[in-house]
Amino acid sequence: MFVLSFLLRRLAQGVLIILLVIFIIFTLLRVVPGDPARLIVGGMAPDAVVAEKAQELGLDRPIPVQFAAYLRDLVTGDFGRSFVRPKSGASFGGSAFDDQTRQERASVLDLILDTLPMTLQLAGVAIAMALAVALPLGTLGGLHPGRWPDKLALVIGSVFVSTPNFWLGIILTLFLSVKLKLLPAIGYRGFSYTLLPAIVLAVELVPFILRTLTVSVAQVMREDFIRLAPVRGLSRARTVLVHALGNSAVPLVNLLGVQLGMLLGGVVIVEFIFDYPGLGLLTINAVLQRDFPLIQGIAVFIAVMFVLINILVDLIAMSIDPRLEY
Amino acid sequence: MAAPGPADPPPASLLAVENLHVRLERGGRTRPILDGVSLALARREVLALVGEAGSGKSVLARAIVNAVPPPLRVAAGRVLFEGKDVLALGERALKSVRGNRIGFIGANPMGSLDPRLAIGEQIVHKLRSVQPGLSRAEARERVLAMMARVALPSPAARFHEAPFQFSGGMMQRVMIVDALVSEPALVIADNITQPLDVTVAAQIIRLIDSLRESLGTAFLFISSSLPVVAQIAERALVLQEGRVVEEGRVAAIAAAPREAYTRMLVARIPPIWKGVAPLPKVEGAPVLEVANAVRTYVVRRRGTFNAKNQVKAVRDVSFAVRAGENFGLVGESGCGKSTLTRLLAWLERPDGGRIAFLGRDLAALGAAEFKAMRRTFQLLLQDPYGSLPANMPVQRMIEEPLRIHGHGSADAARLAQAAMAEVGLEPELATSLPVGLSAGQRQRINIARALVLKPRLLILDETLSALDQVEQAELLELFLRLQAEHGFSYIFISHDLALVRRVCHRIAVMYLGRIVELADNATLFEAPRHPYTRALLSAMPTLEANRFPREEYLLDGEPPSPIDLPRGCAFRSRCPRAAADCAATDPRLAPFADGNAAACLHPHGGDAPARTPEAADGR
Repeated sequence: MFVLSFLLRRLAQGVLIILLVIFIIFTLLRVVPGDPARLIVGGMAPDAVVAEKAQELGLDRPIPVQFAAYLRDLVTGDFGRSFVRPKSGASFGGSAFDDQTRQERASVLDLILDTLPMTLQLAGVAIAMALAVALPLGTLGGLHPGRWPDKLALVIGSVFVSTPNFWLGIILTLFLSVKLKLLPAIGYRGFSYTLLPAIVLAVELVPFILRTLTVSVAQVMREDFIRLAPVRGLSRARTVLVHALGNSAVPLVNLLGVQLGMLLGGVVIVEFIFDYPGLGLLTINAVLQRDFPLIQGIAVFIAVMFVLINILVDLIAMSIDPRLEY
Repeated sequence: MAAPGPADPPPASLLAVENLHVRLERGGRTRPILDGVSLALARREVLALVGEAGSGKSVLARAIVNAVPPPLRVAAGRVLFEGKDVLALGERALKSVRGNRIGFIGANPMGSLDPRLAIGEQIVHKLRSVQPGLSRAEARERVLAMMARVALPSPAARFHEAPFQFSGGMMQRVMIVDALVSEPALVIADNITQPLDVTVAAQIIRLIDSLRESLGTAFLFISSSLPVVAQIAERALVLQEGRVVEEGRVAAIAAAPREAYTRMLVARIPPIWKGVAPLPKVEGAPVLEVANAVRTYVVRRRGTFNAKNQVKAVRDVSFAVRAGENFGLVGESGCGKSTLTRLLAWLERPDGGRIAFLGRDLAALGAAEFKAMRRTFQLLLQDPYGSLPANMPVQRMIEEPLRIHGHGSADAARLAQAAMAEVGLEPELATSLPVGLSAGQRQRINIARALVLKPRLLILDETLSALDQVEQAELLELFLRLQAEHGFSYIFISHDLALVRRVCHRIAVMYLGRIVELADNATLFEAPRHPYTRALLSAMPTLEANRFPREEYLLDGEPPSPIDLPRGCAFRSRCPRAAADCAATDPRLAPFADGNAAACLHPHGGDAPARTPEAADGR
């Protein structure tokens, strides 16, 4: 019963947030210069064709009407069609306005759903790698503040946080891929292509996890119930594993939720460097090609993902710490 | 493993600490914390350990179970428990002692267990880790049985609740379960009543007293207060700076302390009834008038989408404070005194009723008028650390209120320096930051900040409770001197009845948002009418004989939630005198012939209320 009312409340809030995002994105895209109808039909098309295209797309209507129409389409699951991408995949060259391939434009939803699993896979592997390093080191650092594990965590965190990801991507490609031929780097033809970009992303994540974990573990270790544990007869192992880590988990889960949201929307640079066919690469190309429906679609989609991830994170946090139920 | 039955001959001593030295070692320097402490405790005995903060009593408690945390270190001595030296035991052997043969209850019940996890499971886990032979079901059975013995209501349901779902008093009962469930021979109780309200603390003492008799457990009862230990212990040790300075029967120590330190400890305990001079009556004009003040908070009900609950924090409160008067406001946690304080300081507005200062309704004042009026009543808070900005020089801090009220900087500096002198702050402090100042000095800064505005009324919200007894006495003297010079009125909001007894001319007792008794000092302490007032007084730990014996007056249970008040008189669910009409009528505060008032249909003391209370509307 409680979970139900919580979900209702949060979903209602989420819908509001998403509506706001849609509104802002929609308005901004209509305000910036550049005529999408001209983009679709190509620079060489006569004005009459452009006007006809604009009318077909509904671009000649007042913006509020366009917005209402867009919302109605979204509700029915129709994210619209890309202005420039054909179903076959590649974007158009400078071909003539009456080229047949222009007719079959790809559905925005399909484009997003095709690239989403790739980005999810990349984000998942990156978070797993980051946790594998940061979880043990961060815990140790928190258990021994001021001693060597704490200092090591600090050094690793500082080095990683100050490493630019584009530089690291290039260096890793050079050594692991070109010189040692251990891992493939460019494009995607199998799982191994995920590893290199995932390492770069993991290096970005590790400092945040380390910092959060050392601070929260060290803080929990100063609590009365931890200091009382040996007097009550509890073993050190149980105290650390159950009580210290359990109480440090909530800030960590919150952090991971935010990071996952960022990874879904914002791995633009890393996907671009490694030419990894995920949501980030799709976003860059959509922006470069002024592909309004696709940009709008991605923005709305990411907003929805953010809202859902946040609800999920809060549910997990509540199951870890019942005090958070409100 | 099992405790020796009654058939075994009891050994002379259960616990013997011999010449224990504990040192603080940091940065190559050592400082003695315990300096040659020896004590002996027989089976079934309750031994009290009394000492001020910093005397080393908590360190001693941990040393007995060989759990002294670094940088502290046991330098010498032995702790013989059931014939073995605990300090020489290995990890494995220690496991059968700590938490098993020796239980521990601490001063912070709310922080003693993992806040996330069900208390039952945590105690089961502890029990099984000290007694590995026990099955989960057996352990659960024993925890539930012990929960029933400490009178936790509905143990089977509360087993699954987490610490935050308990009140402080209930959580202390949970910690008693945690300590006693392994059937220990000794329980160390370190300041266990300190954070609790006075009636709850008295209930806990009564519970421990009955449990140790039925279970035959010995207790090392540690406290900073001699009256507290006098309630339960026969014999006491007095600890000062890591040394035992006096040892003997509690009654003997209280009556005729031998050592200078103990004499000072005893002399500092304020008398409540014996030889208390009555305070003169104050007949000034009213400064503050509160009439039928009401404050209700609306909170969302948990587990619903949009349902609301009403928390009735202040219900129909009326009183007046006269010029030059000390007015006391007492009550336990959740009685509404903090909300009332916020209303009086006009940090929050009442939902109903009227608060008038110097005859003018605060709600009717315009912004400029109100700002001018604001000078005349000032609030002083409890926490001397959180209430001062850390990065501002002391004199600048005291000038701040003057500048807000439009004084020039030369004028403000002059007045601030005068105020510093008046409250006893050295002029050298003027340019320094508050870091490193003692709690007492910090409170003096706060007093100076209020004083510079030449107020008429100071609202003291537990202002003295964070201070030790010496600082408290000094500040109290300062308050009374300032009153004599400037004619201030004070409102003392406090849970400390002894303090209120000493300084307040009239006192209001609050229960669940309402003043249940409002009387002059002598009447309230010597012949109170309301049964709740009597319960509060009976729960006070005192060395002198309590006029209100606990058997007759002490309450059971805890106050009901202010969301769900009992119909009729809100106190009737716990009242020993409750009758049938109490469920139908909500008694209002009604005056007696002597001018004192109580909100009770069946008050103590004979004479009936001057006017019949209005019938309630059945809220």
